[in-house]
Amino acid sequence: MPTLTIDEREVSVPAGASVLEAAEALGITVPHFCYHKALGAVGACRLCAVEIQAGPQHGLRMACLVEARDGMVVSTTAPAATGMRRAVIEYLMLNHPHDCPVCDEGGECQLQDMTVAGGHGVRRYRGKKRTFPNQELGPFVEQEMNRCIQCYRCVRTYRDYAGGHDFGVLGVRQRVAYGRFRPGRLESPYSGNLVDVCPTGVFTDKTVRFRARVWDMQCAPSVCPHCSLGCATWPWARYRELLRVSGREGPRTNGFFLCDRGRFGSGHANHPDRPRTPRLDGRELGWPEALEALRERLTKLTWAHGPGAVGLLTSGRASLESARALGLLGQALGGAPVVCEPHPRRDRAVRALVAELGQLGRDQEDVRQSDCLLLAGLDPEGEAPMLALAARQAVRRGARAAVWDPRPDRLPFPARRIARLPEALLEALARPDGRAPDGLEAAERESYAETRAALQAAERPVLLGGADLLGPRGVRLLLAAARALSRPGRACGLSLALPGPDSFGGALLCPDGPDADELLAGIEAGRVRALVCLEADPLSEHPDPARVAAALGRLELLVVLDHLPTASAARAHAVLPTTAAAEMDGAFVNHAGRLQGFARVYSAGLPIRVTGQGAHPPREFRPDTPGELPQPGWAVLAALAGEPVELGELRAELARSEPRLAGLAGLVAGGPGVQLALEPSARERPDTPAEPGVAEGELALLSVEALFGSEPLSARAAPVAGVASEDALALCPADAARLGLGEGEPARLRSALGEAVLPVRLAPGLAPGFALVQRRFGGPLEGFAPGGGPIACRIEKGGAR
Amino acid sequence: MDAKLEQDIRAEFEPQIRACAHPQELVVHLLRAIQREHGWVPDEGVELAARLLGLQPIQVEEVATFYDKIYRRPVGRRVIHVCDSICCWSRGEQEIRAHLEARLGIRLGETTPDGVFTLLPTCCLGACGRAPAMQVGFRLYGELTPDRVDRILDEERRAAGQGDPP
Amino acid sequence: MSHPQVLFARRRPGQTVSLETYLQEGGYQALGGAVGKQAPAALRKLVLDSGLRGRGGAGFPTGQKWSFFPADAPGPKYLVCNCDEMEPGTYKDRELLVADPHALVEGMALAAYALGVTHGYVFVRYDYEDVFRALERAVAEAHGAGFLGERILGTDFGFELHVHGSAGRYILGEETSLLNGLEGVRPNPRLRPPFPAQRGLFGRPTTVQNVETLCNVPHIALHGAEWFKGLALTPGEAGTKLFGLSGHLNRTECFELPMGVPLREVVEVHGGGVRQGRRFKACLPGGASTPYLTAAHLDVPMDFGNLDRAGSRLGTAGVTVFDERTCMVAATLNLLTFFARESCGWCTPCRDGLPYVCYLLERFERGQAGREELALLKAQPAFINQSFCALAQGAMGPLEGLLRHFEQELLDHVTRGGCPFGGA
Repeated sequence: MPTLTIDEREVSVPAGASVLEAAEALGITVPHFCYHKALGAVGACRLCAVEIQAGPQHGLRMACLVEARDGMVVSTTAPAATGMRRAVIEYLMLNHPHDCPVCDEGGECQLQDMTVAGGHGVRRYRGKKRTFPNQELGPFVEQEMNRCIQCYRCVRTYRDYAGGHDFGVLGVRQRVAYGRFRPGRLESPYSGNLVDVCPTGVFTDKTVRFRARVWDMQCAPSVCPHCSLGCATWPWARYRELLRVSGREGPRTNGFFLCDRGRFGSGHANHPDRPRTPRLDGRELGWPEALEALRERLTKLTWAHGPGAVGLLTSGRASLESARALGLLGQALGGAPVVCEPHPRRDRAVRALVAELGQLGRDQEDVRQSDCLLLAGLDPEGEAPMLALAARQAVRRGARAAVWDPRPDRLPFPARRIARLPEALLEALARPDGRAPDGLEAAERESYAETRAALQAAERPVLLGGADLLGPRGVRLLLAAARALSRPGRACGLSLALPGPDSFGGALLCPDGPDADELLAGIEAGRVRALVCLEADPLSEHPDPARVAAALGRLELLVVLDHLPTASAARAHAVLPTTAAAEMDGAFVNHAGRLQGFARVYSAGLPIRVTGQGAHPPREFRPDTPGELPQPGWAVLAALAGEPVELGELRAELARSEPRLAGLAGLVAGGPGVQLALEPSARERPDTPAEPGVAEGELALLSVEALFGSEPLSARAAPVAGVASEDALALCPADAARLGLGEGEPARLRSALGEAVLPVRLAPGLAPGFALVQRRFGGPLEGFAPGGGPIACRIEKGGAR
Repeated sequence: MDAKLEQDIRAEFEPQIRACAHPQELVVHLLRAIQREHGWVPDEGVELAARLLGLQPIQVEEVATFYDKIYRRPVGRRVIHVCDSICCWSRGEQEIRAHLEARLGIRLGETTPDGVFTLLPTCCLGACGRAPAMQVGFRLYGELTPDRVDRILDEERRAAGQGDPP
Repeated sequence: MSHPQVLFARRRPGQTVSLETYLQEGGYQALGGAVGKQAPAALRKLVLDSGLRGRGGAGFPTGQKWSFFPADAPGPKYLVCNCDEMEPGTYKDRELLVADPHALVEGMALAAYALGVTHGYVFVRYDYEDVFRALERAVAEAHGAGFLGERILGTDFGFELHVHGSAGRYILGEETSLLNGLEGVRPNPRLRPPFPAQRGLFGRPTTVQNVETLCNVPHIALHGAEWFKGLALTPGEAGTKLFGLSGHLNRTECFELPMGVPLREVVEVHGGGVRQGRRFKACLPGGASTPYLTAAHLDVPMDFGNLDRAGSRLGTAGVTVFDERTCMVAATLNLLTFFARESCGWCTPCRDGLPYVCYLLERFERGQAGREELALLKAQPAFINQSFCALAQGAMGPLEGLLRHFEQELLDHVTRGGCPFGGA
């Protein structure tokens, strides 16, 4: 721990820290452009000049490149240092177009800040400015090259950090530009990070171009609701419209960056068809009337038929508090049980994880720091995009990675791959002798043995998986494998992608309630007569949509609480509008068991863009705010139960009733969150039966999530919906040839999930014997709910599309 | 770029690439070979190099746009690089350049309408003892005078007309 | 005045020494005498004792550089010869290689032996097609004769040598930039540490040396360290030096002269004096990146130490002479334009600072500059010297020379409202 003096203040920093980082520890910002905590120091901008006055080096130095040493005396304010910084700013501004008034970065521009801070107020250069053409980079990122100061952050983020391969540095000398080989959409799932890392307005968020200045927007620390990882975000809203999302520093989660789904998927909150007014039997009502009427009907049903007459269903989308409030409603109704996920297999998988995880959970930071990774049945791009980025950082630091998955490999890092379902391999890994399963080819046996040996030898091994493909049995096997690979003092961790942002929290609250199939059976048997769905859409999320549709048809009362215009909401007798995450305070428990709070960014309401038809201010004057009725799910449910509460009370109740959630009491949005103290369940571990396999000669269908279009929130955000890939049926070339199908030819797919005619896409990376579709809302595959594992399907040629 | 050229480049490079532990090191050789055959490196040339080396086109483009003497835009059959560095400057480079511009009717960076000559500046050619100097293709000409430039241009134009390689 | 010829001993006008001639004139004897007979460490020690310093411009002691090299580390290691000779006023390596390419092949094989290296590259600038061909031929000949390849001269020592043709950029003369160039990625300079001796080409230990440096190695191996030191005229210096003469001299050729030869002898005897009977005004003593010397420096011995003390550098020993009618502002503008154009674009002071200096100098030439511009110009070197690599620092050589020796000329541009020499 070297101790040095910076600006007459002493500081001790970890060995290897730079002078810039040491200054940061004192709260002294040494101005910089190219340095970035996640990208490191490259010494390109030469802005962070400081004067080293004593110690092993002397004179003007770049703070990012000098290692802090004992006894160093550093001045960040010496005339030589400030003079250097002023000169660098002047150089950088020689060619800058000075177009701040029309630049979206204005107000949050590091270059603007540094120019002002450095006192560069008068341009002495009267020569011609260098100019560049801009490139069209797709719907997310706008480029304005003339503003560039060549800090190389963009390419270091896009290529080095995120593994993108279609973006680079072009040209030389004073004509260095950044872009693609040809114009076109940036292909990386992490392209939006260009917007965050660019210190000026070269890359800005195209989806909100010219919409707002930073000081015009509301923002608050939030947690990304688009998968289970719980990345830290800043949502930004203006005039009741959720405009954009930027990355927030999440040391345990995302670090600094976000995936494009999380960044550009927030438009669901502005969906024009979103429920905004309580509706009962086709009539719009005020809250008191709607709640009164529903409470009465639910109470009557319970009186008449017992507490089992009302079913309660939530999903991983709902906040922890809302899920709890649903449970309290059940109690108020005399003990109606909560089903925490519309997809029964997903449900059981998540519960298996929560029951057995204990201290084995690993978050993104653990993955980044791991030295050996096994991805078993995980397709991060669809299920948890940032997990791939975390794993890439580990691999960049030298970690080994292996993949056991039949799906084509789209990972941004190299990995040894066995193209098979992971179950048998995990079962083998979990056995004490670890002997390879039967039926492997020689190369696969070798690969298996090597991976097992590497996991055993590693210091920080992590097994990564996806609940969707693994299912409950696979999850238990993954847990068993992690336990088998752990030894005293050195655990093998586990990081499982779950269906929703609070899947973990939901399962924590109802460890052993019924699943959705039991609920459906209850409806079909006439026992369950009413169903309350909290931010759950069984019609789109249950693997048998036809069965759900029939069951919902039998209900006397279907109540849907949601902020999305879902298929189930469209069928409901009553729709109660709830707020989106950015419109409320709340908490999610992420995939690794970290409880994180999020704060309300803005109050729900119809965007002024809608009410004013583009004009502002709106010309209609009224005492209320149009569209302000949506309420947090927990508030609606508490009112429905007849026991309205404040959030603080609800949290306190929750912390009392569930000791593992004690951290909820002091939870602060924007803070680091609380890692739950989990104990593996003491109960005997159930022996999960193997799932019915697919018969010999039949193709196994996998319906999975895609980066865009599958996840219910972002699928309803305009810019994301526009880039969802086309619906297609992926087959390996050999299977396609056997079926007489070529690339692009129509094929009819029949399965328990439904039927669709889709063009064939040849996927050489797909294991033989599998057919792969990606669920997309708004298309023929909407009902192909992911999470079901491999199921039998039939594929034949032709059919009209 | 025609198919024949691609065939020739493949024939020339595939064995080298196979024998090479780090094929990316051949990127400049490949671009130079494409330029030698095609006169300049079109987009398809960048893509061909990327395919052969197992790279992304942007990785090749990053390198191609760095170097002075990889032409990513069409040039004439003879590229004249006239040295403007200090030794040539001290011995009449401006006069030679002005003469070239006048004789060819083009300015630096331009190509003659007949597509024969492109005139570009270059940094020091390493012919400082023979300044002022210029290079046409790989042919170096030193101790230039306006008269000598005229003779060189005539000779190069004739050779280009006969299809001689630059 | 004739001096002993070492590197140029075999040079014949208009000819390239073939393998046959090279052998006849004592070639590959040094290699034969060392490989398998002398311990590599002894050869490294010999080079250290000889006082050989790098001839590419920086003048780093070669033996010291080799002492940092992990010669005994397992795995691939590389020796790279830097023949990206692009500094204006420098053409000695071309002269040397066109005349005697086997000297480099032998020098590299010896260095490889001393350093435990099995693979080497000669990095040749784009425009040196003549050098490229001469080297390719020499490498093939040496291969055929068993001086390269596996089991050289029947010993366990093997060394493969590749000739790499570049595509034109001065920055590749910077050794880490050159390594990136060889790897086929953008040739920006690399951050140091790690130094190439630890992590160089393809992440492996690498040493990069200039052509002339390597060509000296066989002679040192044959004749010893004391002999080599004795070649220099000045104490503490060693060897001969190739001086490439250019500019306003009567004879602009490349000469091999002893280290420490006075500038006056270079100019008046070898260069035949300033042409057209004009007076010597200034010169770049060692290429475009070295601060000017003036007539007051004519008696300075041309070697590393004395030129340092005179406020300049020996650099590449490419001597460019300017006569009394030269506008030093215009000359400096020309030089700075070169550096600005050759910037790789990595760091701000180089990429944007150098064009700014050009802009300021242009204003002087056009008579648009006042005293504020002079103050501004004077402030620039302190900033630009903070560049990432030595390119922009090199560019400050002539600018600092201008400010030191020719400030009056800048002021004349201000007071006369333009160039007193009729430029621009």
